[in-house]
Amino acid sequence: MLEIRDLHYAWPGAGGECLAIERLDIAAGRAVFLHGPSGCGKSTLLGLMAGVLVAPRGQVRLLGQDWAALRGGTRDARRAEHVGVIFQQFNLLPYVSVADNVLLPCRFSAARARRCAGGPVVAAQALLQRVALPPSLWPRRADALSVGQQQRVAAARALIGRPGLVIADEPTSALDAALRDDFMALLLEECRAGGSTLVFVSHDERLAARFDERLSLPALNRAAALS
Amino acid sequence: MTALLQIAARSAWNRRGTLALVVLSIALATALLIGLERLRNDIRGSFTQSVSGTDLIVGARTGPVQLMLYAVFRVGGATNNISMDGVRAVAAHRAVAWTVPIALGDSHRGHPVLGTTAGYFEHFAYGDRQPLVLAQGRAFSGTLDGLYEAVLGAEVAQRLGYRLGQRITLTHGLRAAGGDAGGELAAEHADKPFTVVGVLARTGTPVDRTVHVSLQAIEAIHLDWAGGAPLPGVSIAAEHARKFSLEPRQVTAALVGLKNRVAVFNVQRFVAEYEAEPLLAVLPGVALDELWAAVGLGERALLAMSGLVALVSLASLVAVVLAGLNERRRELAVLRAVGAGPRHVLALLAAEGALVTLSGAMLGAAAAAGAVLAAGPWVQQRFGITLQATAPTVEQWALFGAVLLAGMLASLVPGWRAYRLSLADGLTPRT
Amino acid sequence: MTRVFLSLAVLLGLAGTATAQAPAGVPAMKPPLAAPGAAGVAAKPGEPRTITWEALVPADWDPFKDFKGIDFQMLDDGDPRANEWLKKMRQAWDDAPVNPALVGQVVRIPGFVVPLEDSKEGLKEFLLVPYFGACIHSPPPPANQIIHVLPNPPVKGVRSMDTVWISGKLTTGKTDTYMGASSYRIEATQVAPYKEPAR
Repeated sequence: MLEIRDLHYAWPGAGGECLAIERLDIAAGRAVFLHGPSGCGKSTLLGLMAGVLVAPRGQVRLLGQDWAALRGGTRDARRAEHVGVIFQQFNLLPYVSVADNVLLPCRFSAARARRCAGGPVVAAQALLQRVALPPSLWPRRADALSVGQQQRVAAARALIGRPGLVIADEPTSALDAALRDDFMALLLEECRAGGSTLVFVSHDERLAARFDERLSLPALNRAAALS
Repeated sequence: MTALLQIAARSAWNRRGTLALVVLSIALATALLIGLERLRNDIRGSFTQSVSGTDLIVGARTGPVQLMLYAVFRVGGATNNISMDGVRAVAAHRAVAWTVPIALGDSHRGHPVLGTTAGYFEHFAYGDRQPLVLAQGRAFSGTLDGLYEAVLGAEVAQRLGYRLGQRITLTHGLRAAGGDAGGELAAEHADKPFTVVGVLARTGTPVDRTVHVSLQAIEAIHLDWAGGAPLPGVSIAAEHARKFSLEPRQVTAALVGLKNRVAVFNVQRFVAEYEAEPLLAVLPGVALDELWAAVGLGERALLAMSGLVALVSLASLVAVVLAGLNERRRELAVLRAVGAGPRHVLALLAAEGALVTLSGAMLGAAAAAGAVLAAGPWVQQRFGITLQATAPTVEQWALFGAVLLAGMLASLVPGWRAYRLSLADGLTPRT
Repeated sequence: MTRVFLSLAVLLGLAGTATAQAPAGVPAMKPPLAAPGAAGVAAKPGEPRTITWEALVPADWDPFKDFKGIDFQMLDDGDPRANEWLKKMRQAWDDAPVNPALVGQVVRIPGFVVPLEDSKEGLKEFLLVPYFGACIHSPPPPANQIIHVLPNPPVKGVRSMDTVWISGKLTTGKTDTYMGASSYRIEATQVAPYKEPAR
């Protein structure tokens, strides 16, 4: 699914490199826990994986295609088609309804919409049910929901159309313990059911237990070792 | 991208509280621009329509524009009269086909009274050589039997609710319609009432708000007056007036028609060189053009001011959207995550601005149309100008389009800022 | 992917710019408008023939023939006879005949506009005169130097004393008129702005 070779990235204006990864492979359908403390370049790596950032050196290949080889518009379209992202918080457009938030990726990629069983609207409703969001909330504005509910909607949005790669950047850090476990279970199960690869980034090692693989970013990152 | 438009619409609606003022200011600017253009158009059209088929207007040697204004549009006052001898001399010129003398100075409940001959109804035309048509009744006879007969313009009859046979009295001098203050200050010709014998069909010109009587009748009601007030102790009853000589000696102006329009310069020169008194003859078309040239500067100034108002309102749009951008960076990151690129972000912001401009412009255009509709009857009654509630002209569409275009261009500023922010932030805005 | 956009709104287009015009009544007499090519240049068939104002005067008309031989040196200042002769000359101008050779031809001629009938659709009737200010402050042109023009279709945007080219068939007006025999008329098929030819 994801292949990284000889990746080097430095933020413009920063002193030195923040990322230097020689090799990283993530197979399809795996659930990977990527561990690392704050500030070590986790977010940068996620940006590179999703094709939002482009590395000047090295290759980041998603489904065999290097992000850097594509032009900006094509990158965005490809991300719309193959990637789902869940942030720590503020995942939704507050003035858009819950249902329309879930549909967002399908609006930006026709191919993704086509993969939805029964059409995007039906698929969205199915997903919302699976994340246990009551139907009465579906037409409501997204900012009317609680944090926990918003995270669940975010998961549904990331999963609609069964993208190849789901990236989760500390999605449970804003949730309390009870909600956290439920969310984790939910996310893992939906990814497995849809066949999506999950890259879960967090600084909390205790969550690592349920995952297929555990990776440590500081161990992978030569730049961290050198600095 | 309809998806983007929908998101833009919802986003703008979400912040409608802040944006409402911007919408209102854009509406005001558009209303000013379009309203002024409408007014300009309608006033010009109205003036142009007001006289047709008259080759020259002869009056006292004031100025061409002033003569036109009071002789045709009943606006302003005549500073001087001309003698009937002068009018007769002009009529005797071999190139002249007809002359119609007119006398102004009295009014009836705010509407000007025009003293003239029966030839007025025959020769006067408006619009595209359209003659005056009587909707009811007949013209005054101009003989001594029918001395106190009056013919009303359509607006007078409608507004005051007069019908054939109505008795009316005339007031000396011109008084504004609202100031119907009677009592001692009203210089009424109360002893000589007139009877309405005819009502003209609507023309959309100052004719509509005029009361027409014969020249002899004007003489009759002023027989026992001097200097604007009745002579104390002298009173000539209405039916005795005809015993006096009622031939007019002075009139305000005369409308002149020629046998061949090519002769207009010669007659004009004849009038200018007439030795017995200072006379002036104007070509209506030329005088109107002079008027527009004089007014044109003011029009351009008003237009420029309205343009400035539009610029200011668009600047406020840019400021409001830019100010709110910082809080929206996470929103933009969400959009990046679902597959939008920086150019989508730019398009989104630009679309928001364009939608705000569009709503403001449409509101403004509607307000201008509404204002024209609302003010139309008052303007018609007061000035004789018809404001048309017609479809917008090319110029008005152009103004509307210019506001829209300017709004779209202005929205590119926050769009561009959002583009840069999104590029820099990626998925993780540092706010 | 870089796109550079200008910031801030552009100026709004002003709708309708009134053309600046010289105030009416300027007494200066400008020379008659120059039409390129001499009078009577044969045009291609079907095209209007460009003529000058001189061509409208018949070759055998001489309003000054009565005045030849008068020695103006002999008169005192203010002699009433001078005014008499002036009046007679003006009378002769008023009776100036048309040039029958041109009647019925399709011609093209430049001139100044004196509007007569304006309407919503545009100017429907105007007089074309050879020089500026032929209204009050100059002696009026003789009858064969004024053309009564009826543009078809009516022309918009033409103001008093604008300079235009008109093209159309030259006819004469009614005969039982003031102006001696008759006067020129054109139902103009084309009215175009006049530009000074480069000198």
